[in-house]
Amino acid sequence: MSTASLHTDHHAQDHHDHHHKETFISKYVFSMDHKMISKQFLITGIIMGCAGLIMSLLFRLQLAWPDEQFGLLQTLLGKWAVDGKLDPNFYMGLVTIHGTIMVFYVLTAGLSGTFSNLLIPLQLGARDMASPFMNMLSYWFFFVSSVVMLSSVFIETGPASGGWTVYPPLSALEKAMPGSGLGMTLWLVAIALFIVSSLLGGINYISTVLNMRTKGMSMNRMPLTIWAFFFTAVLGLLSFPVVLGAALFLIFDRSFGTSFYLSDIYLEGVGALENVGGSPILYQHLFWFLGHPEVYIILMPALGITSEVISTNARKPIFGYTAMIISLMGISFLSFIVWGHHMFVTGMNPFIGSVFMILTLIIAVPSAVKVFNYLTTLWRGNLRFTPAMLFSIGLVSLFISGGLTGIYLGNAAMDIQLHDSYFVVAHFHLVMGSASIFGMFAGIYHWFPRMYGRMLNNNLGYFHFWLTFISAYLVFFPMHFMGLAGVPRRYYQFTLLKDFEVWADTNKLITIAAMVGGFAQLLFLYNFFNSIFRGKKAEQNPWQSNTLEWSAPVEHIHGNWPGEIPTVYRGPYEYSRPDREEDFFPQYVPDESAPETLEPVKTKKAPKTEELAEKQETSTVFFAAIKKVFGLS
Amino acid sequence: MTITSPTFMHNSLYKRFLAILFAAIAPAAIFAQAAATDIVEPPKEFDPSSWDWVSILIWVLVALIILVIARAFDIGGLAEKVTGKKIASSNKVNATVGIIILILGMAGVFWEISNHGKHLLLWDAASEHGATIDSMFMVTFGFTFVVFVVTEILLFYFMYRYQYSEKRKAHYYFHNNKLEMIWTIIPAIVLTFLVLRGFDTWTKITYRGAADHEDYNKDYEIEVFAYQFGWKARYCGEDNKFGEANFNFISGTNPLGVAVSEQVDSLVVSLNTQVAELEAIKAAVKDSTAVWQKEYNRMVSTGLSKAYVKDFAALTEKLNDVKCGAYERKLEKEIDRKKTNLTRIANYRAMPDVFNKAGNDDRVVTELVLVKNKSYRFRFRARDVIHSAYIPEFRVQMNCVPGMSTIFPFTPTKTTAEARQLKGNQEFDYYLYCNKICGAAHYNMKIKITVVENEAEFNKWVAAQAPLVAPPASATPAAPATSDSTATQPAIAIR
Repeated sequence: MSTASLHTDHHAQDHHDHHHKETFISKYVFSMDHKMISKQFLITGIIMGCAGLIMSLLFRLQLAWPDEQFGLLQTLLGKWAVDGKLDPNFYMGLVTIHGTIMVFYVLTAGLSGTFSNLLIPLQLGARDMASPFMNMLSYWFFFVSSVVMLSSVFIETGPASGGWTVYPPLSALEKAMPGSGLGMTLWLVAIALFIVSSLLGGINYISTVLNMRTKGMSMNRMPLTIWAFFFTAVLGLLSFPVVLGAALFLIFDRSFGTSFYLSDIYLEGVGALENVGGSPILYQHLFWFLGHPEVYIILMPALGITSEVISTNARKPIFGYTAMIISLMGISFLSFIVWGHHMFVTGMNPFIGSVFMILTLIIAVPSAVKVFNYLTTLWRGNLRFTPAMLFSIGLVSLFISGGLTGIYLGNAAMDIQLHDSYFVVAHFHLVMGSASIFGMFAGIYHWFPRMYGRMLNNNLGYFHFWLTFISAYLVFFPMHFMGLAGVPRRYYQFTLLKDFEVWADTNKLITIAAMVGGFAQLLFLYNFFNSIFRGKKAEQNPWQSNTLEWSAPVEHIHGNWPGEIPTVYRGPYEYSRPDREEDFFPQYVPDESAPETLEPVKTKKAPKTEELAEKQETSTVFFAAIKKVFGLS
Repeated sequence: MTITSPTFMHNSLYKRFLAILFAAIAPAAIFAQAAATDIVEPPKEFDPSSWDWVSILIWVLVALIILVIARAFDIGGLAEKVTGKKIASSNKVNATVGIIILILGMAGVFWEISNHGKHLLLWDAASEHGATIDSMFMVTFGFTFVVFVVTEILLFYFMYRYQYSEKRKAHYYFHNNKLEMIWTIIPAIVLTFLVLRGFDTWTKITYRGAADHEDYNKDYEIEVFAYQFGWKARYCGEDNKFGEANFNFISGTNPLGVAVSEQVDSLVVSLNTQVAELEAIKAAVKDSTAVWQKEYNRMVSTGLSKAYVKDFAALTEKLNDVKCGAYERKLEKEIDRKKTNLTRIANYRAMPDVFNKAGNDDRVVTELVLVKNKSYRFRFRARDVIHSAYIPEFRVQMNCVPGMSTIFPFTPTKTTAEARQLKGNQEFDYYLYCNKICGAAHYNMKIKITVVENEAEFNKWVAAQAPLVAPPASATPAAPATSDSTATQPAIAIR
């Protein structure tokens, strides 16, 4: 009943809208339309991503050629690179802001902000978000937060430089390092604003998913993207307030003389401080209570997007829809009770360490289920390699490589050796960084026609994918070995440490690969901005997808669908049904005679055509060659 | 004082950029107040002639080339018609590239392992517990490497094998409970095994540090002390007892803050002097302000303010501080802090067990010497920010947290000489590194560790280290220490 009344409401509003021409401000700036807000999130995210990428290239330059002098650096950075050599304090600042930007601004807001906003109403069949005004606020808090964060790079004392986790006392004591002054204040302000933005967004996503699904869209017919966004929003809602508390305590310690995190401190040049009774470890507990769910806040939307893209482009139902949801749920739940694995060597009671170890390693089970389900979805599919599909396959590959090393780090005993080494850097850049950014790219390539009504160029997409994929592995894979050799992370240079001299060449290789990866992103940027204006006009449903968003007209209208919202008749992944002529069966196509799902076909062999036989032959040759290479035969 | 004055920026380029930004976000700029002054630095910093134009041009050129390449592909793409054939051909290319990259990637993995394998540490630990971590690593590596190779090969093989064809339909196959059970249960079993093994390894390593552990008293304790940016260590001396230590006792000559009367007395004297000086400055604020104001006027009138920008800025800030009372508040705070420090020292003085002379024979040293096969317990303290003591060769890592002491028990099993021989590197030394970001010089914060063959060598070295308080000249030299047999008393950091 409620749906019906909603419809009439919107009809009235549509009617109302026809009389008022939208101004530039209301359409492009303070827009309350979820599609425009998602574009705003995306473009801001891309800009922040470029900033983060450039920062990483700057400090990679320092790591690869610590003794070189780059005139360009001095031109760019002024006093932070006197004689073309990066300043150690600024190096720390770059590392910190790179991490913060990538984690929060690109992969949290840029990824889930963009696609939750775009897809939740469109895939569920809603006219807009539950609260469009809050949605707009969410973007503008994010925007202001981005500006404050970026501006902190340009101040005289430099940006916050205690690592993206900003552990006190380093971040609490202005005298401990230059970045802990104004730079740290701006960091805290930016993060506080960011949390507000994230909460406003999250509440909206949850209420939209729960209340505004169209007729027939029961929870078990929702696409996996929506499930992923839903769990992500719940995680954010429960964990971000905790880190806001942590940040507030830190602000108190910095500015109002409290001692939440400070105790027994003697600072060179200042003397013994008055603060007693606090604990720096308290901050770590509070921070990682967000920090660990945060990595799933980053990863889960990417996994959701991948599920959708893989199923569509494999022309095959996603394997184990229910299992996928249960594993997302399991990951979400477990992510709240494993934060201690970031703190095995902080000196906390070893018994608590072992509890956290057990809980941490359990996460590997739902993750493994997801990987196997992706593989089975590809098995005997009919794969179309659109750039989005390639990025999704890339995500699965990176998720495997990066996820497996989590088993090492989650093991408290091995973590003694590997903690804060390059092994950690390799692990999270693969599983959380690269995998999620691949998911984001997959989403952009897949839904670009839905966002802009035009197609991205495929060939550029292929080049972008392969270059990015290769460079991601070349950059992060060797880091495992550095970590296993005991090379600590966040070191400005290794020239003074004889033990680590052997890694000089590896560092150069990594930097060169990173530059190639960086330039590959230029291809993407060109493709993206060029296609917005000059791309090929998109068809209504360019990927022959099942989900609801492709039933809406290409031209954007407020309220998404003219007339009534389509009704949903079945699940989102009914591809290649034996009882249908076409290899897809959209959710919104009524066909009363067709059952909602069919039982899986029992025959073991797929129908063979000549072409297929030929293909099989070539693949046997390939497989035999692989066997030979690895001596498996 | 204008809030949006962008003088805290150091380069005109940034100034322009930020002037716009800050005008747009005034609230954030309020925080800039602290660092902002009214002085505008002369615009000479904006000097394009000093820029590295060659590199700029090269990079611009590279970007342009990429754009041209992009454009070229783009035109190809525009001409492309989306036909089934086109899908098939680009599909084939991508699938083949996938297989090639799989093969090259796997070859790369094996190359990495064979090439870099020799630099890896994880199979020749130089400590007793390290060997158990290493075997844990090898077991995990075995499992994960198999999974890695199999799943990656499957992924790219499927990618090649099941390319799109219009002539067939994908296999409609959306669930199989049996299959899903299998791949839930098998990883669960493997992980249970890894968890149990990891639990065992972890508890054996760490529980030894608990005071009620049976072996606790067998371990010889050494205090390792971290500060920005270096390490110090404290050996307990002939009495096998550590003196008490507290951050209130820290001074230039007593960096660890050990409760040694002589040192703390001179700290008290110095603190009292500082308080007196600060109070004198506070009392004379009015007079000095007049002097500063005069100097300020002189600099403005003679144009010196333009020549000595930084000095002038500092002067202006000082005058501003005086005007709004911040200057005096700062002085008061400083005095209060030092007085608190003095009060606390006096309180500890009154306690009977703090200045008990146990610390007089402690040795504070700048490098560590350990004996092979002797069990140690490192007790870590830090005085300013969190540091982390990391000795990769020993598989030891523990954070050093201000306000809290942490411990790590271990037994070295290879002497420095043996390690040198094994590595074929005569210059090799064990080092303890800092592994928690702690400031600008974090990357070079280390302390050398030498592992010697026997107790005699160690005693010789320890005898050469000066105790905190030199024994009276008349006293007979202490007999060589027999510190291995008896337990050491742990230091109790007083709070």
